[in-house]
Amino acid sequence: MRLNPIKFFTSLRLTVVLLAFAIVLVFIGTLAQVDEGLYNAQARYFRQWLIFGLNVFGHKIPLILPGGYLIGTMLLLNLLAAHIYRFQLTTKKIGIQLAHSGVILLLVGQLVTDMLASESQIRFNEGQSKSYAESSQNYELAFTTDNGANSQTVITISQQLLARGGEIQNANLPFTIRVKSFWKNSEPSFRAPMMQNAPPLTTNGVAESFDFSPAAEVKTMDDKNVPTVEIEIVDANGSLGDWIVSGWTTDAGMIEGLERGYAKMAGAAMAQKITAALTQPQSISVGGKVFTLELRPERTYLPFSLTLLKATHTVYTGTDIPKDFRSQVHIDNAQTGEKRDVTIYMNAPLRYAGLTFYQYQMTAGEMAQQAGVAPESVLQVVRNPGWLTPYIGCALVALGLIVQFMFHLVGFIKKGSSK
Amino acid sequence: MKSLSFVSNRQPLIRWAAFFLLLTIAAGCDRDGVKVYQVTEEKSSDAPVATLPADAAVAPAQNANSLPQLQFALPSGWQQVAPSQMRVASFSITNADGETADIAVIPLPAEGQDELALVNMWRDQMQLPALTNAAAAETVSVAGSPAKYFEIISEQPLIDGKFRARILIAELTRGNMSWFFKMTGGNDLVVAQKDNFLQFLKSVSFNDAPIPDASAGTQNTLMPNENTPVTGGNSGGPADSIWTIPAGWQTLPPSQFLLAQFSLAGDSGAKAEVNVAELAGEGGGLAMNVNRWRGQLGLEPATEIVSSPLDDSGGKSQVVDFSGTNMKTGKPTRLIGVIVPQNGQTWFYKLMGDDAVVAAQKDAFIKFIQSAQYPK
Repeated sequence: MRLNPIKFFTSLRLTVVLLAFAIVLVFIGTLAQVDEGLYNAQARYFRQWLIFGLNVFGHKIPLILPGGYLIGTMLLLNLLAAHIYRFQLTTKKIGIQLAHSGVILLLVGQLVTDMLASESQIRFNEGQSKSYAESSQNYELAFTTDNGANSQTVITISQQLLARGGEIQNANLPFTIRVKSFWKNSEPSFRAPMMQNAPPLTTNGVAESFDFSPAAEVKTMDDKNVPTVEIEIVDANGSLGDWIVSGWTTDAGMIEGLERGYAKMAGAAMAQKITAALTQPQSISVGGKVFTLELRPERTYLPFSLTLLKATHTVYTGTDIPKDFRSQVHIDNAQTGEKRDVTIYMNAPLRYAGLTFYQYQMTAGEMAQQAGVAPESVLQVVRNPGWLTPYIGCALVALGLIVQFMFHLVGFIKKGSSK
Repeated sequence: MKSLSFVSNRQPLIRWAAFFLLLTIAAGCDRDGVKVYQVTEEKSSDAPVATLPADAAVAPAQNANSLPQLQFALPSGWQQVAPSQMRVASFSITNADGETADIAVIPLPAEGQDELALVNMWRDQMQLPALTNAAAAETVSVAGSPAKYFEIISEQPLIDGKFRARILIAELTRGNMSWFFKMTGGNDLVVAQKDNFLQFLKSVSFNDAPIPDASAGTQNTLMPNENTPVTGGNSGGPADSIWTIPAGWQTLPPSQFLLAQFSLAGDSGAKAEVNVAELAGEGGGLAMNVNRWRGQLGLEPATEIVSSPLDDSGGKSQVVDFSGTNMKTGKPTRLIGVIVPQNGQTWFYKLMGDDAVVAAQKDAFIKFIQSAQYPK
């Protein structure tokens, strides 16, 4: 018996099988988060065509299952094929059509979200302005050079490209970058002048006062992989030396943690000096131009700036239980001339220029005062061009079902009254 | 009727396909690669933390130009070695039992130094708990001036798991610099050498004539010495006598961190190089050093190091052998590395270069290593 592709793709049995697989996938993917962490589980089970081998409660099961992409695509094809073949543009069926188009919109919307959505963060102290958001997961190697007149050219190389190794060139860079080693996660250790006797990794920049070593990749939501890359910079005249660029030198959140650790060991003044040595900018001079180089959290530049005016953290009286976090920010859009203040708090995000800004973290109020730190707020910045599709999709499904039900109801009542 | 409806609806299907294709391409383009931006200069408030204080203890190089010359009388049995990193002078002592001690002279900016933190750093090195209050330091004489003196002894056998370790430190504040004289080693040896150390401190004198260029090979000018450093080369120094150098090996002047360097020529211009480095203690350990070597050949760091013993001398010396691409030259390269722990030091031997040359020279390289007469 030959497989009839039309029959196969329009079959309701396929829909049922795919939905069954989807249920299994959601179940396994949810369990896998325990061992593999949210982001890895998403990548391994949902953003995948086929899954080879499952991991349930630490046990490996040798099974091949369809991944999220395959199930979603097949469901979409199944629905479209059924639509095309069973299409009857009659008023009687309009409700079914509406409900189905709602489901199609949900599926397409999810695909759009998966491919185009991005999440980043803005971390600022009171009074600080930022015109970019930073990724919480990915890093980039950035070369910055001054053009004079307050303007800078920034050339960034993504973490994915660095991980591939080899040579990287760009028309805006008068040199070639050779990636000598890439560690997805790394640990810094201070080369204390009295303790460390081994030679440094390289003889330039931060490597003179810090060693970096590869660390095991972390997977849980509470941990973070901080990469370190050893690069060689080569121009027409030969090598300009090896450099260590590390996320540890730029990631404000991680540096704060590191400084607290050193403060316990060697006192606050020493800890400040150690972290100052870590964050000291590195630069090279090529062809009369000075380039600073750093491995920093991947930035998304915004066409406007946000200034944190006030961060408020209130607790229920007499307890430490948080009652409210709110950030008062000032939007300054030079392109449109728009200047206004907005308050962002839980469940009241700011939607602006295709982005949504949610209140995410905060160090303010009494706790910040006691710790002697400036009030700080972190906003989660979400760009999701498909954010409206679930709302429209669900509305269409609901509308379709109501219309269909009403047709049946009206028909039934008419039938009853004619008898 | 059905086929008719299919034909009439083929158009939307193609449109959908085109939409997905575009979507995939659009999403794919943005995911990785190189991006270029023009931005206005960032305000200083964007910097994550404060910039380096001018007196930072970690950057003595900026003060190197104004460092005075150091003069001293070298006690017998002390061997001057090439100073590395922040040291302006380095010595080593080895006794008849093979125990070694290391002496370092390190100048650091005096301002902002936290004595308790320093003492705790040394205590940490000796695996002792940190102190909350510093005990009053003893005083010794360095260059005719009183200097603070500390002595710290480990409770655990830190050296080869057999001997306790001891540190002697004298800290002399002179102008805006603190000069640290530090002896580290096995307890017995350091105790035996304590008088020599104190004599050495007394003999130290500073010549304040500034050095014209401290950044270019300053160590020797800083150290007007009578002893030839153990740096090998064609100088006829001790390096030549430590090993039996195989025929055809050309001795090169060693660089900053190397004891000796040789060039090995093969057929039709193919080349390989032998490097020897010596580091205190474990020198960072096997895994870190092998992974550093792997990095030089563009190989991923190994989580498990595969090595074999050099000979049947108890398996302490380990050999690693792997091939990859030399990240500096881009040529296929083989590397044979040998790590020899000896008398509390670790010796690193590296034969690296063209596969044919490395294969041909492997036996000579192993014999060269086995010929070593390590300083006693």
